[in-house]
Amino acid sequence: MPNWFLPAAAICGLMFATAPILIANAPYESTMGLVQKIFYVHLPAAWMFLLGGVLCGVASARYLFKGDPRQDRFAWACAELVVLFGALTLVTGPLWARKAWGVWWQWDVRLTSSLMGWMVAVAYLLLRKYGGPGSDKLAAGLALFGLANVPFIYISVNYWRTIHPLTTVVPTLPTSFGVPLWFSVATFVLLFVLLLRMRVRLEEQRARVDALYLSMDA
Amino acid sequence: MKPFLLLLVVLMSCGAAGTAVHAQQPPLQPQEEFVPIDQLPPQDQLPAAPLLVAAYCFIVLALFGYLLSLARRLTTVQRELERLEGDVKRSGGA
Repeated sequence: MPNWFLPAAAICGLMFATAPILIANAPYESTMGLVQKIFYVHLPAAWMFLLGGVLCGVASARYLFKGDPRQDRFAWACAELVVLFGALTLVTGPLWARKAWGVWWQWDVRLTSSLMGWMVAVAYLLLRKYGGPGSDKLAAGLALFGLANVPFIYISVNYWRTIHPLTTVVPTLPTSFGVPLWFSVATFVLLFVLLLRMRVRLEEQRARVDALYLSMDA
Repeated sequence: MKPFLLLLVVLMSCGAAGTAVHAQQPPLQPQEEFVPIDQLPPQDQLPAAPLLVAAYCFIVLALFGYLLSLARRLTTVQRELERLEGDVKRSGGA
């Protein structure tokens, strides 16, 4: 692991310990009350889900057009994080919605497109695991669909009728809501980077193992 | 005459504005009774705390589980790598 990894992991742990204090001290939202505090983990998880989708798609495109195996390993690592953070988003969202909207799930465009994006990432991982030879290129093609879905997920609430909050909510947040949110976002970004580095490292080691097996067979 | 006219216009404007504001607001009604929470519709009486706790617990458990899985896989691959490198060295030395 690189030299920055352990200090960054320590900082991330400290931030994860501090975030609940900031979130607990944030004021209650006027209409949703206590349950709105799910927002402070739901939104950063959703952003990491989208970030992972973009990184996975871009790395897959570079792998398809340039054939660089490092890009393929990076895309694979990103896809796993998309599944992780997508699961966090898709579980915390309904828990919030149950109280705020009165239902667990609504087949509106934001929720449905997010679920589709998550399923594309799951399909990517399944393809990589069980697809056999050549599945890397197929999975890379699939990741491009995941990439195309990301802006659709983001802007969907502004163009279709939905009960999901609009993208304008975040820029207009008062400081009392904004400070815990941005702290939580910074924590999730750092966690994302650390997990990504670990996951890429795993793929690098696997590539070395494969290379050693091939050299032993030769 | 002019100040009197001005005062009349101001008073009429205030009156009109006040009427408009009053017309827009729903009439305030005093609360006649307290309703126990268990008599509210199910959606309104749903407590928020279990949902909030469930969300945070899921986040912590999922992240911790993934971290453990990643560490376990890294350890396994590292061991396999060390074993293979040892095999290659031994076969190279023999």
